[in-house]
Amino acid sequence: MSAQGEGEGEAGLGPRWRGLCSACRQVFGMPDYERYLAHAARRHPGAPVLTRGEFCAREIERKYGRGGMRCC
Amino acid sequence: MNNKLGSVLLWPALAIVGAISLAALALGRGESVNAVWLVTAALCVYFIAYRFYGKFIAEKVLGLDDSRPTPAVRHNDGLDYVPTNKVVLYGHHFAAIAGAGPLVGPVLAAQMGYLPGTLWILVGVVVAGAVQDFIVLFASMRRDGKSLGEMIKMELGPIPGALALVGVLAIMIIILAVLALVVVKALTASPWGLFTIAATIPIALLMGVYMRVIRPGRVGEASIFGVVLLLASIFAGRLVAESPSWAPLFTLNGTQLAWALIVYGAVAASLPVWLMLAPRDYLSTFLKIGTVVALALGIYLVMPALAMPRTTRFIDGSGPVFSGQLFPFLFITIACGAVSGFHSLISSGTTPKMIEKESHARFIGFGGMLAESFVAVMALTAACVLDPGIYFAMNSPAAVIGSTPAQAAQVISNWGFTITPGLIEQTARDIGETTILSRAGGAPTLAVGMAQILGAALGGKAMEAFWYHFAILFEALFILTAVDAGTRVGRFMIQDMLGHVYRPLGNTEYLPANVLGTGLCVALWGYFLYQGVVDPLGGINTLWQLFGVGNQMLAGIALLLCTSMLVKMKRERYVWVTLVPTAWLLITTLTAGVQKIFSDNPAIGFIALARKFGDAAAQGKVLAPAKSIEEMQRVAFNNYLDAAVCAFFVLLVLAMCVFAAKICLQAMRQAYPTAQEIPPQALAGRSTA
Repeated sequence: MSAQGEGEGEAGLGPRWRGLCSACRQVFGMPDYERYLAHAARRHPGAPVLTRGEFCAREIERKYGRGGMRCC
Repeated sequence: MNNKLGSVLLWPALAIVGAISLAALALGRGESVNAVWLVTAALCVYFIAYRFYGKFIAEKVLGLDDSRPTPAVRHNDGLDYVPTNKVVLYGHHFAAIAGAGPLVGPVLAAQMGYLPGTLWILVGVVVAGAVQDFIVLFASMRRDGKSLGEMIKMELGPIPGALALVGVLAIMIIILAVLALVVVKALTASPWGLFTIAATIPIALLMGVYMRVIRPGRVGEASIFGVVLLLASIFAGRLVAESPSWAPLFTLNGTQLAWALIVYGAVAASLPVWLMLAPRDYLSTFLKIGTVVALALGIYLVMPALAMPRTTRFIDGSGPVFSGQLFPFLFITIACGAVSGFHSLISSGTTPKMIEKESHARFIGFGGMLAESFVAVMALTAACVLDPGIYFAMNSPAAVIGSTPAQAAQVISNWGFTITPGLIEQTARDIGETTILSRAGGAPTLAVGMAQILGAALGGKAMEAFWYHFAILFEALFILTAVDAGTRVGRFMIQDMLGHVYRPLGNTEYLPANVLGTGLCVALWGYFLYQGVVDPLGGINTLWQLFGVGNQMLAGIALLLCTSMLVKMKRERYVWVTLVPTAWLLITTLTAGVQKIFSDNPAIGFIALARKFGDAAAQGKVLAPAKSIEEMQRVAFNNYLDAAVCAFFVLLVLAMCVFAAKICLQAMRQAYPTAQEIPPQALAGRSTA
């Protein structure tokens, strides 16, 4: 149920490389679509998932919508 | 068994290396001390503190318990609450807490020599800073990721909760002003710097459009070309600075830059977040982590000698960079890096919602702050490898050292730091600027230090100008991101407060209310920024100390919360862990606050300075460096205002002391724990999302 070939960029790469990409995204606070797909497949199998664009738009709004406290 | 043997050998070895390094720093009799000693001493202190004190707090004081499900495990909604790998979360948390603070304070404090700053950073982080970050993170983790304000409300009561929120807003306004002032000081009359910073705006817009419209969701691709364009803009900046037709367009004075930043803040905070804030935040995080790593490697590769003496005569309070004696002013000048109240907001934000196991909190909270402290140590190192004459030329106000290299060299040489006008001019030429005089604020000094270190490691003299502008870009970029994000936070806080007065103003979906909120927030920090820029006495010295007092007060408040919480958990035995840093912060900040308000010395006391200028203006006299009666009156008014802000911080923290003491006494009379934690039996897997 991994969605509509959306992950084609990393799907061909090894799991280790995918893990590294995912770790970098999390450190830099970027939306992590691959992790979202995995989460959705595990917790809500069969339910419709967001497209990559929708997911990123929602994540960015959620993270930055209220400004986000930044340190000095 | 093998492990145990290694441990038995490792820790004493680390302790010995650390002790030798510290001895080399403090006692060495040679001509100059190598910076490697400083960095090594710091690393040894961090490892030992983490291994022993961090473990003690985790196991004995807090009793971290991996069988208690964390908020991330209980809610695991794939959005806010996500169990995250320990190392990944460490990086994420570090990126969130590290900012301009640990870079500016240590550079200013270097005027007293390298030793006082180093010792305060190392002792402060172990005893206060890391403890605060760790325990606040722990408290929030046990309360479903609640924010600092909510926890104060829960544990201390609604009035302290509301007071703390007002205090946070006040500190935010001051910090936005002071950060913007750092950018103004760095970019004044610097077409190269201004061009590269200005270029980040179209680059971010392009990235925003790319990942929203052209290739929706492709954040990684957008980031790669963003970084490439960013580096290209540094090279393009040199061409702009050398072009007779382009250079004047990017040569602005302080007042023009202040207005540009105010307009920028208002516009940026009103744009959709995906268009500019998010892409710029990615860029600034890349640069931040990249630069910190590069600087650490650079110091070990180049092994520069510390040119600044161990202590200078300015510990007596007569320094040109900031006035006031070592006690208490060193302890408020170096805030972030030793202890930063602002971290209590971050540690109670997103991080506690992502912790996988309770025991990880030690690595992330305590360890994360140690990494920030290391950044402060490197900033101090970069400032201290510079020729002290250059350091003072860059950081003293024009009112003290004059505005030409010849005047500056004469004044500074008279202080005992021999320097020639030729060297001042040569340094400016090396970094591709026309002048380096009176660029207070930390960023430019750090950038020159970094340029010399990184230049020596990579590219030599020819690359120094590139590294200088790279360092300026890296600082200005994340300051501007902070201005954008901070203005939004401030707007929501202001709207929240206005909503209590007139309900529609609190509606964040209502455009006029949003415009009012953003406008008020920008006007507030913009006022302090403008005041700092036109202040003939320098601005940064005043504003940075005001920020230091506010930030340390916030740390005091957070530690008061931690103390009350330990008492309510019935762990009074260990209450000294938070009580000692609380007491120290209260002593230093209250002393500093009271001196800033009431000192008779106009170089220190706000009211004394306001009186001096107000009285002279009333008699029609103009005192240097002011140039008109109007300027005199403005200096007087602004100093009264600064005194009022400082008094507000002092009263706020005193009130919090009273509230916390009352709660502690109440809790001590109870036989059972009264802290409001999520009970341990709350089971995993209750998630709904």
